Amino acid sequence: MFRFSDVLTLTLVRATIRMSTPILLAALGVIVTELAAITNVGIEGIMLVSAFMAVAASYWSGSWIVGILAAVAAGVLIAALMALIHLRFKANVLVAGIAVNMFSLAFTRFLLVNWFGVAGSFYSPRISPIPRINLSILAAHPVLDTLFNNYNLMDYLGIVLVFVFHFLIYKTVWGLRLRFTGVHPLAVETAGVNVTVKKLQALLISGVLGGLAGAHLSLGYTTQFIENMTNGRGFIGVAAMYFGGISPITTWLASLFFGFTEGVGARLQNLGFPSQFMLMLPYVATVVAITFSMIRQQRRETDKQPF
Amino acid sequence: MEPIVKMTGIVKQFPNVLALKGVDFSVEKGEVHSLVGENGAGKSTLMNILYGVLQPDLGEIYVRGQKQVIHSVRDAMHLGIGMVHQEFMLAPSMTVVENIILGFEPNRRSVVDYDAAAEKIRALSEEYGLAIRPESRIIDNSVGEAQRVEIIKALYRGAEVLILDEPTAVLTPQETEDLFKVIRSLKEHGKTVIFISHKLQEVLAISDRITVMRDGRVQGTLLASEATKEKIATLMVGREVFLNIKAPEGKRGGVVLDVQGVSARGRRRLSDLKNVSFQVHAGEILGIAGVDGNGQSELVEVLTGLRRVDQGDIFVSGTKITNLPPGEIRERGVSHIPEDRNRSGLCAELTVAENLVATKLKRPPLSKNGVIRGQAVRELASRLVEEYDIRPGDYRIPTRNLSGGNRQKVVVAREVSEDAQLLIAAHPTRGVDIGSIEFIRSILIAQREEGKAILLVSADLEEVLSLSDRIAVMYEGRIVGILPASEANEQVLGLMMAGGEYAKAQGEEEKVVEA
Repeated sequence: MFRFSDVLTLTLVRATIRMSTPILLAALGVIVTELAAITNVGIEGIMLVSAFMAVAASYWSGSWIVGILAAVAAGVLIAALMALIHLRFKANVLVAGIAVNMFSLAFTRFLLVNWFGVAGSFYSPRISPIPRINLSILAAHPVLDTLFNNYNLMDYLGIVLVFVFHFLIYKTVWGLRLRFTGVHPLAVETAGVNVTVKKLQALLISGVLGGLAGAHLSLGYTTQFIENMTNGRGFIGVAAMYFGGISPITTWLASLFFGFTEGVGARLQNLGFPSQFMLMLPYVATVVAITFSMIRQQRRETDKQPF
Repeated sequence: MEPIVKMTGIVKQFPNVLALKGVDFSVEKGEVHSLVGENGAGKSTLMNILYGVLQPDLGEIYVRGQKQVIHSVRDAMHLGIGMVHQEFMLAPSMTVVENIILGFEPNRRSVVDYDAAAEKIRALSEEYGLAIRPESRIIDNSVGEAQRVEIIKALYRGAEVLILDEPTAVLTPQETEDLFKVIRSLKEHGKTVIFISHKLQEVLAISDRITVMRDGRVQGTLLASEATKEKIATLMVGREVFLNIKAPEGKRGGVVLDVQGVSARGRRRLSDLKNVSFQVHAGEILGIAGVDGNGQSELVEVLTGLRRVDQGDIFVSGTKITNLPPGEIRERGVSHIPEDRNRSGLCAELTVAENLVATKLKRPPLSKNGVIRGQAVRELASRLVEEYDIRPGDYRIPTRNLSGGNRQKVVVAREVSEDAQLLIAAHPTRGVDIGSIEFIRSILIAQREEGKAILLVSADLEEVLSLSDRIAVMYEGRIVGILPASEANEQVLGLMMAGGEYAKAQGEEEKVVEA
């Protein structure tokens, strides 16, 4: 029989936080680009290639640190490719993003066969995962232990980055100029700041964050690479960014919300609900969230016509 | 004394036009120097060269006697040259302080020092009498306030020479007076002001010297004390002009447009229409005056079916047209010259002929059974091109190849030839040359003589005053008063445009006279 208490347990809190991390990292990346007027849907592809490179590097070197570094490097490279397409050759940014996503899907499948001779997924005990952090003070208390202890290093890093980016965006010269780049590029240009350089910076930073998100998927959340393992999490990151009003702290809350729907979905599946239903949940949430945030944005704009 | 800015032999070639044909221009330190000329005379091009936005093809620029090559806006700033553009360079969602310091942020190890910034801005604001609200967002500022923010921004960046590009175009007469106070205060502090305008009265009131440009050349520089409106206008156009072509009082007929208590949501709160009522008669021009953004655009959109009416009704010759689709409103005898010809008046990629016939295609003789009849289209197009003096006279070229004035004539030709009972003309002469202004105004008068009802919306008080039989003033989405043109003048209208009631405005004017 179905009981709510089976779904709403303390471990659901854990699942929510764990599942929100890749979404959060992706969302932070697209916040930075969105502020520079680049809607970076290519974050999906960035994450996928990074996830692959993380596994490959960790497998060969036996070190998760090398894995993360490889993932970040790959993320920056793919972001640089987007910058080339969008900033240098002036292609529409959504088209550039979709192109990068399609490329990444095929490219990782190709490398999977070529480097590891497998199709579908790659797992090996030689892959070194990102460690979990055990805080012994919390271990003594069962509830606190369940809620807050033994998370992956990346789960904690994501939360730290929320505040780092909040500071960078709202308190520094760099952030002020970034925020102007999106809303009034001409003012930025006449202030003697190069808009293209700001946009390039933003894209490369989203490459770093997308790289961390990818590494977390394949070395933290799981320890393997699966074809298309990002499975829309980059897009959900974009949705979380809009839902959170393009600001780090509120976007963190939005990421937790999406993580929660994924967690609930997984539980419902265990209780015998059709798996398609569970697979659908994050996307339904995405549509709902985007719809609401667009309605809000439109309302704001009707009030905001300045002169 | 050495001029603070001296430009010699400036030539600038654009793809299709030689914009500046060897311009000499010099400004003394501490003067207010006006630069006047029609649209396309080259004023803005010349100033954009001085401000580093454009590079000259030939010619030299000297600042404080030193020859300079100004590659960028940043170079201009280092030389102490600042500019306030007509389109403000301000981000609406950001605060006043953020907008001012952008690019020149006081900081401690890259962290913005907002306290230091606010302090410096407050000092500038007090020194020059520029009242602003540093913590407010730009969207919550009035146009006049935003303009003051722009001036402070230029001063903050160290401007000694301040270029103001048509600063009064968006202001009420009272706000203009405030701006003039600021300009005088800048002058007292030894700053140099270059004032671009085509409002001759203002130019005469504020300037020390006036340079007139026409067709990419300087026609002459006059001392303001020796100049007159007529002298300047003749230099600007190259012949005498007659803009005040007021025809004798028309024969007023029955009511054509009847607006009854109309309310509608606006683009912003201040421009929501609030219970607007008025009538326009046959053989009458009703002018709508007001500072841009007080509901005039919304009123026109409501009348032409482009915006939903929430309350109230609109009748044209007794037929209710409230919330009908735009096409059906046209069919009921309403034609419309839109406020922005490039956005909603024309399709720039289509030919002149296609734009001229666009509203008439459904009807014979231009189409038959849904197929366009080329011969009929060509005949009508060539007749309209001839009648309205649209240049160049080739109706097969894309409309984007025409000048602003000629594009506007295409719109006017299309709408006037509809022969509708009601013509709604929104800013019919905005941004066109003086020759076209003269022509378009004479057409409106002729339409009135033919017994058409005309609703004229214009931000140009001179235009409203010289063409209208009656004038309604809009403020924050309401009509604050309707008065016969014979009782109106700039002073009264100006007070009403700032929200004063007609009776009160009259009273205040008397006080001014007494004083």
